[in-house]
Amino acid sequence: MTPEIFALCVFAALLELDTTYAFQLTFSRGIIAAPLMALITGDVMAGIQVGVFTELLFADVNPLGGILPPSAVVCSAVSLAMHAMGIELCFAFFFGVVGAILFSLAEKLVRKNRFKWLIFWEQKIIKKPSAVNRAVLLALGTSFLMNFILIFVFAWVCGQFMLWLLPFIPAKAYLACRFAYLIVPWIGLATLVPAFRLKAR
Amino acid sequence: MNFSTRLNIFLRSFFLQTGWNYMKFQNLGLTFVMMPFLKEVYRDDKDALPSVLQRYLEIFNTQPVMASFCFGALAKQEEAVAKAESLTKFKEKVTEWSSIKKGLSITTASIGDRLFWGTLKPLTLLLALLAWLMLGVNFFELELPQHIPLAYAISAGALAFFAFNAVSLFVKWQGIRISYDADEKSCFGLTRFDWNKTIYNAKRFGIVLAVGMILFGIYHYLKDLQDIDVHFVARAIVVLFCVMISFVTRKLRIPNMYLYLAAVAVFNIVCYL
Repeated sequence: MTPEIFALCVFAALLELDTTYAFQLTFSRGIIAAPLMALITGDVMAGIQVGVFTELLFADVNPLGGILPPSAVVCSAVSLAMHAMGIELCFAFFFGVVGAILFSLAEKLVRKNRFKWLIFWEQKIIKKPSAVNRAVLLALGTSFLMNFILIFVFAWVCGQFMLWLLPFIPAKAYLACRFAYLIVPWIGLATLVPAFRLKAR
Repeated sequence: MNFSTRLNIFLRSFFLQTGWNYMKFQNLGLTFVMMPFLKEVYRDDKDALPSVLQRYLEIFNTQPVMASFCFGALAKQEEAVAKAESLTKFKEKVTEWSSIKKGLSITTASIGDRLFWGTLKPLTLLLALLAWLMLGVNFFELELPQHIPLAYAISAGALAFFAFNAVSLFVKWQGIRISYDADEKSCFGLTRFDWNKTIYNAKRFGIVLAVGMILFGIYHYLKDLQDIDVHFVARAIVVLFCVMISFVTRKLRIPNMYLYLAAVAVFNIVCYL
């Protein structure tokens, strides 16, 4: 684990806060987050490709109501971290997508259980209104920490696993993963056309 | 509402979703956003604040950008609650406040989801993709060029970022002012904009961009093609087949990410057969 991958995970954990907890200025979108993260690893073109593919692949899941889409930041961060370890993008992206799905499941679990913590803070806020600032700060801090730990551990475990597995991977598996990686932008674009259906008016 | 309070609400609104939970959704965020305003309104009656906060800590959920319309309308109604002269009047105003909170949050969520997540997000994505392709950054190619100017790499993302935020920050800032000044007749300023027409026009523009994008992608594949070889045909068949499958999975409400994961598994099996 090099310092640049560590820095990438810290930066990704910060960017992930933008998805829900703070700002929502779209820093966490694949096309914005991935090229920015790629500046740390040095392969900007890989960042653009991962960002575009991530955004297109996740374009059909929107955060409507309580729906929690897979995290574009986690997908990009895991893919770029593994790519920086020397793993081909077609393999790294697969782990990125799996990581994003697992992350959204973990996030769902946290949100379900947060109300216990929240009841405690509600009592505090009612007694002392300024406690709301501390509650928000603490929520941001714990979210950042959780993001960092999950991204770092997942990227590290998958990276080490793939580095061990790489010499045993046959050319056929490489070809299959490349073909699957190839179709990502096209199925994403095919999703975007129906997204603009003119049913509103 | 003075400028500094409005600015304070605006800045705090970026943390509306902090503490999001499945029981009361954005209740902590709403309390955080409205706190400076509440402190100002109840400056002379600090004992009233705990019971006021209990109302704000109840369930609240809406689209984060359009929530600004709720902030302004709730602030206006809170002033009416604070100025209530009798208990009956107070209860009446509190009931009105609760119905505004519930009704407006649903309406703004509906508009916001369609405008920002359903239209503006995919539209700005297409803008970025087109910008990259026009700058010669071909992300379709799996063999990546190693050196592209840094400005090219950042510019398309920046274009999407500024296009999305120009609209969202404008709505966020203006929403607080408009909803505070407006009344119930104009649905707290929501009727000032023709949201349906805006969404309709944006979607019309979006469909042109989406089709243009697909044609541009096909052109990128075909322009350097000297003669059609077996690799090109194989790739084209695989892509077309997966696009067709994606239409079926969409009907079955299966997200594309699962289609991709299934493709990895299926292609591996096929390669070994």
